[in-house]
Amino acid sequence: MYGLTQLFSGLTTAALLFLVAAGLTMIFGGLRIINVAHGSFYMYGAFIVSSLVGTALTSSAHATALFWTALIVAPLVVAALGALTEYLVLRPLYGREHLLQLLATFALFYIFTGVSLLFWGGQYRSISIPPMLQGHLTVLGATLPVYNGFIMLIAVAVGLFMWWLLQRTPLGWRIRAAVEDPEMLAAMGTNVRGLFTGVFTLGTFLAGLAGAIVGPTQSVTTGLGAQILVSAFIVAVIGGLGSVAGAAIGAIIIGLSQAAGVLWAPQFESAFIYVAMILVLAIRPSGLLGVPEQ
Amino acid sequence: MMDGRGKIFTHGAVPLSLASALVVFAILGFVLSPRWLFFFQGVFELGLFAVATNLLIGYGGLVSFGQASFYGLGAYVVALGWLHYKIPFWILFLLAPVFGAVTALLVGMLALRARQLYFALLTLAFSQLFFTIAHQWYHFTEGSNGVFGAMVPRILTAPQHGYWFILGVSVIAIFLLWLVTISPFGLTLQAIRENRKKAEAIGINVYRHQLYAFVIAGAFSALAGALFVVHDQSAYPALLDWIKSGEPILMIMIGGIGFFLGPLVGAVIFQFAHNFLIEYTHVWELVLGLILLVIVLFAPDGLLGLLDSRHRGEVREKMHSRLKRVFAFRNNRPGSKR
Amino acid sequence: MNISYRCKIGISLIASLGLALFMSGAWAASYSGVVKVGLSTSLSGAAASLGQSGKKGIELAIAELNAKGGLLGKQVKLVSVDDQLSPATGVTNVRNFILEDNVAAIFGPVSSSVAAAEEGIAAQYHVPIFFFISNDVDLTTKHFTKYAFQVVPNTYMEPHAVAAYMIKKGWSRYDTISPNYSFGRSTVKQFLAGMKKYGANINIVGQQWPKLGESDYTNYIPAILSKHPDAVFSGLYGGDLITFTKQAKGFDFFKKIHNNFYALFTMGALKALGKDAPVGVIAANRAPFYAIHTPGMSLFSTAYHNKYGEWPSSWAVMGYTAVQTWSQGVEKAHSLAGNKVSAALSGATVKTIRGPIYLRACDHQGDVREYVGTLSQKINPKYGFRVMDHVYAPNPKKIMMTCAQTLAMQPH
Repeated sequence: MYGLTQLFSGLTTAALLFLVAAGLTMIFGGLRIINVAHGSFYMYGAFIVSSLVGTALTSSAHATALFWTALIVAPLVVAALGALTEYLVLRPLYGREHLLQLLATFALFYIFTGVSLLFWGGQYRSISIPPMLQGHLTVLGATLPVYNGFIMLIAVAVGLFMWWLLQRTPLGWRIRAAVEDPEMLAAMGTNVRGLFTGVFTLGTFLAGLAGAIVGPTQSVTTGLGAQILVSAFIVAVIGGLGSVAGAAIGAIIIGLSQAAGVLWAPQFESAFIYVAMILVLAIRPSGLLGVPEQ
Repeated sequence: MMDGRGKIFTHGAVPLSLASALVVFAILGFVLSPRWLFFFQGVFELGLFAVATNLLIGYGGLVSFGQASFYGLGAYVVALGWLHYKIPFWILFLLAPVFGAVTALLVGMLALRARQLYFALLTLAFSQLFFTIAHQWYHFTEGSNGVFGAMVPRILTAPQHGYWFILGVSVIAIFLLWLVTISPFGLTLQAIRENRKKAEAIGINVYRHQLYAFVIAGAFSALAGALFVVHDQSAYPALLDWIKSGEPILMIMIGGIGFFLGPLVGAVIFQFAHNFLIEYTHVWELVLGLILLVIVLFAPDGLLGLLDSRHRGEVREKMHSRLKRVFAFRNNRPGSKR
Repeated sequence: MNISYRCKIGISLIASLGLALFMSGAWAASYSGVVKVGLSTSLSGAAASLGQSGKKGIELAIAELNAKGGLLGKQVKLVSVDDQLSPATGVTNVRNFILEDNVAAIFGPVSSSVAAAEEGIAAQYHVPIFFFISNDVDLTTKHFTKYAFQVVPNTYMEPHAVAAYMIKKGWSRYDTISPNYSFGRSTVKQFLAGMKKYGANINIVGQQWPKLGESDYTNYIPAILSKHPDAVFSGLYGGDLITFTKQAKGFDFFKKIHNNFYALFTMGALKALGKDAPVGVIAANRAPFYAIHTPGMSLFSTAYHNKYGEWPSSWAVMGYTAVQTWSQGVEKAHSLAGNKVSAALSGATVKTIRGPIYLRACDHQGDVREYVGTLSQKINPKYGFRVMDHVYAPNPKKIMMTCAQTLAMQPH
């Protein structure tokens, strides 16, 4: 079942894009900041796992334990870095021009790239997949690598968690309210600044998690952040900036159309993602689920 | 804005500054070592690119993150016209801004349908699309390798001649851009930036004005790209990507968005940092990022904003009201109370 | 207000005068006992691992040269600058090397695009430039200048060597996957040309062109497998190859095509992949120190290991040979002058750690060997990565473009 295999592949691409775009769009929704450094947080997630796990895995039980530990530790370290960044760099810029905020994250992107070169050097790195996630499943005659299934599961779990958090918890209500009317929220006794720190921390946690999960399927180098950033942006923009559900839809559109592009129009495949974004914005200037701007 | 004699940086004195810069730098052409001649070739050509971009960002309130589309296009027009059709350089050099204008018209018609950040991201998408085309259409564009060779007349490859040529063209082009900003059209553009709704209410065709601004900026960005070819004798895909689009914005912010000549100062600093950092450290990205961060946090009006401290309050206020509208998505933004 | 205005103008006038003096280069001193050479290469960004590795080979070569008393009685000093993988930066670096540092030679970059930009500039100033990582055949044909020398198997030779190796296997159904840019396209094109030239009649069942720097091959892998090819030729390398290999393993790709897969598995990629490197697939290497059996190479690899605590990559080996090539050119010419050194090297044979290299007069391409083999079952205990078994290194004459061909492509 080659068609089904290709469908699974498209969904894997979608899951991967969603994991990166979710944090990006959430930070935009909560803070109205385009975070160019998001790709760097993603890269650090992968780098930290590579330092903790590496390829020198010996006994399988040990390897697996190490892998799961790294999967939790890496996003936490990245989130701590995110919180620090928000406090030191972004907090003084709230209420200032968005161009300045954009440039601040641009500066952070440069800084994080330089720091990663100092810490991890320019060599390629690679993370071994633990034995229990190696190999592949056969579903209805189609091939699905176990690890790709794992990525999809995590993406679904992250999506559900964010839906629950934003729609069903008081915290989520506050985050949404903060976007609508921060002054009212502050008057009602909510610590808006603390809330922003929380949103940014959560967003960078998601970036770190994405890097940690996706890292084992790629080569890990300093360029990692810049590559994924543009794709993730496009997914978030197609869906409508600020909308997590939109990011999911955008990821599925791009994922599936890339799978189809490889099949039918391979020479145009890499241009397709930009054409898709231009078309969507030409028809709906605020993305599929975005709120129109005034 | 045209009153004070002392306001050397504000636009009352722009033609004077340009004229004296032209004279001083033309004379400097006799004493500078080749290395510095090449350095300033880069400064002039990037400076023109940044001033043209600031017509959109500073004057029009339109943050385009895709000006490299036109810059790269200008370079490719000269390079590909030479490679495939053997068209004389001088004709190609004049064709480059025409191509820039036409492409900007087509891109602008679509991109200006979106507002604010979505506009920025649409222009970014176009720039990436052109980048991809230059990369993949290797039969025509030579792909990722780019085009190299004797596409520039021999007389211009001598450092001194190239220097004078780029200096002259840039100064004239920047002067023309200044005329645009003080023309009725330029003032209307600024009025739209200040209050779009009011402008619409009094019958100004906002879309058309912004489109014209986009076309003018596109044409001059393409001219800057053609000057790049004089400087570097090459055209390649990286001239079209999002990092190249970010460069004029960095220069604008370094020099000062509120000053017509701010981007030129930014271009000097940027080119200096870019060329010299790499000689001392391979983690130049770290240093460049730190410099940028310091400017964003402590000198948001740019270097001219720091020097021109008497007008700081005025400039800040002007800028603030300007940019509030540039990026105000909704009435309420996080922490918008100050 | 007027006073402060005039003051400002006065100060800026004085300052600019001082600056002008500084910039006019009047202060530049020349060192009589030192000769400088320049290395502009990628020390940051996606190609940093290649650039840094090549730099180590160059540094070791220069250190050994100086220990033996230098060149024509002068100590050699290396100036190295990052090119950020950008042609514009490469051009700026090369100009600065020539105009400011007065270098006697330049050692080239990682990227062929940067190399092409630098080649013309070096020729304008009559300074020899040595390419040892970038290997586009265009550098010795379309962009040829008499100041450029290439001591790495080029993009014509490498796929022809692989074709010469794979033709012996008798496979007929081929699929290709290669990054969609100049190098990826020309590698596949020359491989197919090579197969034809050596008399194979193969059937192309599919071709994949992922973008350079692709992070997701999950769409391409099933597309290849669905065509049931006998063998797959790939132009992937470096980070792309690592990513592809890891994702392909999830599909049991290598087992399904019986390891009949070729890619440029360099040492850096093999070290990163470790146990994940696929066993038995076909690899190529431009200068594997462990497969080159000359006394010079064993001395070099030991010295390199002692100095840096790691084994030399092919980039380091070729960086070392590039310095050897230049220094012998200087000795042959008894001069540091660029035009004399270039003339002395054109059509000459130099002795290097990979054996003698003959630099053809027609295009200045060195007749270096390309090494093709299969990846070993076990990780080599001494080196810590998989080496190639059954290494085949065809006679360079067999895989090089003829001089008539290159001359037809060169500018006149």
